Amino acid sequence: MAKEYVNPQLAPTNRPPRPVNKKMRLKESGGVASWLMLSPSLVFLCVCSIYPFIWIFRYILYNYDGIPNHTRFTGMRNITTMLSDAKFWGSVGVTFEYALLKLIFIIPLALIMAVLLNQKLKGSSFFRGVFFMPTVISSSISGMIFTFIFATGNGILNGILKSIGLISQPVGWLTDTSVVMAAVIIMSVWAGFGNYMLYFVTGMTSISEDVYESSRIDGANGVQTFFRITLPMLAPVLKVVLMLAITGAFKDYEAIMVLTNGGPGTRTNVMFLYIYNLIFGTGSNATRQIGYGALLSLVAAVIVGAVTIVYNLVAKKLDDVV
Amino acid sequence: MRKLSMLVALVMLAVLALSAVPALADKTVITYWSNDRHDEAYMNEVINKFNAEHDDIEINMVIMTDDFENSILLAYDGGTAPDIIGQSVTLKNMVDYEAVVDLAPYIEKDEEYQKVNDPFNHKYEGLNAIGDAIYWVPSGMRSGVRIEYNKALLEASGFSGIPSSLPEYIEMAKKISEDGAANTPQTYGIGFTSSSPFERQLEMMAQVSGVFYYDYANGKFDFTGYKPFLEAGRELVAVAYPDQQGVDNMRAQFAAGSFALWGNASQEAGVFTSQFPVNDFEWGVSPVPSLDGEIKGALQTNPNKGYLMMSSCKNRDAAWEVIRYLQSEDVLKGYMEGGYDLPITSYIDSIIDKSKMGRMADFSLLDYESVYPAVPTINLIGDDYRTVLWNAIMGYAEIDDAIADLNTRYNQAYDEDVSLGFVQRLVIADYDPLHPSAGTVTWETK
Repeated sequence: MAKEYVNPQLAPTNRPPRPVNKKMRLKESGGVASWLMLSPSLVFLCVCSIYPFIWIFRYILYNYDGIPNHTRFTGMRNITTMLSDAKFWGSVGVTFEYALLKLIFIIPLALIMAVLLNQKLKGSSFFRGVFFMPTVISSSISGMIFTFIFATGNGILNGILKSIGLISQPVGWLTDTSVVMAAVIIMSVWAGFGNYMLYFVTGMTSISEDVYESSRIDGANGVQTFFRITLPMLAPVLKVVLMLAITGAFKDYEAIMVLTNGGPGTRTNVMFLYIYNLIFGTGSNATRQIGYGALLSLVAAVIVGAVTIVYNLVAKKLDDVV
Repeated sequence: MRKLSMLVALVMLAVLALSAVPALADKTVITYWSNDRHDEAYMNEVINKFNAEHDDIEINMVIMTDDFENSILLAYDGGTAPDIIGQSVTLKNMVDYEAVVDLAPYIEKDEEYQKVNDPFNHKYEGLNAIGDAIYWVPSGMRSGVRIEYNKALLEASGFSGIPSSLPEYIEMAKKISEDGAANTPQTYGIGFTSSSPFERQLEMMAQVSGVFYYDYANGKFDFTGYKPFLEAGRELVAVAYPDQQGVDNMRAQFAAGSFALWGNASQEAGVFTSQFPVNDFEWGVSPVPSLDGEIKGALQTNPNKGYLMMSSCKNRDAAWEVIRYLQSEDVLKGYMEGGYDLPITSYIDSIIDKSKMGRMADFSLLDYESVYPAVPTINLIGDDYRTVLWNAIMGYAEIDDAIADLNTRYNQAYDEDVSLGFVQRLVIADYDPLHPSAGTVTWETK
């Protein structure tokens, strides 16, 4: 009787399974290469992000003004100071107001401009460049430009408004507490919308022309096409843009520092401007407060993180609904 | 072969030519950071002269007008600090940081420097010296604040000069603003800058009225006396030029005739003759008014234009050579005659031609101007007093609340710093507001 052929590779064997050590598993899964490729960014993450965070975190219970022999442990004092620091909590409120107003204007404006410039009309590339240009200007330069525009006595805006008869007395754009926030929002929307517009334009180019053609055949008008096709198909991009816009708005302070330095009074004193001035002993602060500033940085990071989490939850719920 | 020889010869010539270059590179470069812009042209001139005359040392001056102290400390931490810095820093912080060098050993050996700068008679505890250590020596003096005024606008409203009392001053500002409403463009009685506005007029009016934020006699902070000046400030702001822009913008507005009254110290002599020259009207200079017209306190004046040597300086002898040059007779004579500062030593005062000082002569020291003893540097959380008091003037805070807040925060921070041994309590039991530096200084540990 002929012996049944058994493929030696498939045949059961009494040999114990080859021991696979960790080293081999790492090699087989390409782990070494991955870690090698990741290592530069990991080093930078540790050096530029994690280490500074730990460095500053250790001072949250200290009174420290940056001078080495002035470090002193103050226990819970920074925390109790923070809880009763009306100026800090006021700055948190100002930050929410600023972020909300900025988002209300910047996202729709960026979206509308993206839709208009995506129509492949003559000159749309030129305007795309023009609207994007403020994004490449440094924030402090933006702030300086707008100090000339918003100056009360000799400002460009008041000059125009007066010449066309809209105002008789100059508006105190930067000195009147009731209008200064509008000035700050105008500047930040001008400086930022071109960036978000570009994201939207990029998102729109990925929507197939066939979809639009079908909608045209079905008789959809422009508004219907926008709400039924463009907007839903832009949803993933919109989600990312919104997230960037929210975190960006909460962290803005550079241009505000130049334009109003948080004033008049504390009317535009956003959270991170307050913290910056504390840590660097600038603005109206008599001395550097690195310890207290470190604690406020942590609280501010928690606030921004909480807002981002809430946004992500809302966005997820909306996904489920849609 | 001939071509090759030519090529070799050319290469050799090039090598020889290049070998001459290291003579320049061998110079010791001493970097000096200044935060004075008003004297830039003159300083460049004397530095260029020094560099041309010296084969061994080269001065590299960098002007940094913003965030001066922070920039220095950040550079010091990063190992890129300059060798010499201007004196506009908090001395105690720099000394505690061990960032500056005691210049006394250099000064003691330098008789010419002593003759010109009289350093041992211009030691101000906490300001340029701590104990026996001298960290900088003033080259000159900035006057206390004066009122610079537009004579044409004053005369148009029926005034010939600045009154001696604050209520009259307010009435004058109101009248000029009222009259200016009819002008095109509209003109105003007074203007304030956004940059430390309280310091530039009202704080100095308080000083000459005998009000100061540090109670030297009892060794504590006391802001209570500022109340009438804050109330006066509210009246002035109500009729002021509607913007409070940066100091240079407001200087430009004054020079353009937009408002009549401006407050600042002797640096304005140069500002209104060269930086923003006033050409269309005559401008006058007057002492600041007091609360009731009577002088009850000294007006603060500031010794200035000093040079500190950083402890990170690797060529200290060369750095000292630069300092002694910048404070030499020739350089200081030109500096004072150029109208950049007022002389602080009797020696410099005796050798300068005062007719060359231009409008600086209008800022000559008053008999009630004096250097105040340096108030202890404390580790304060939150806004400084000038910001809080100006916010109260602008109506962003109640006056009584602002004063109570300052009294509490400043004294809490002071008490804590004293208890931890970071500062000592400065007490001058026989303090006289008209002669603030004449009293007996004691330092207490409680």
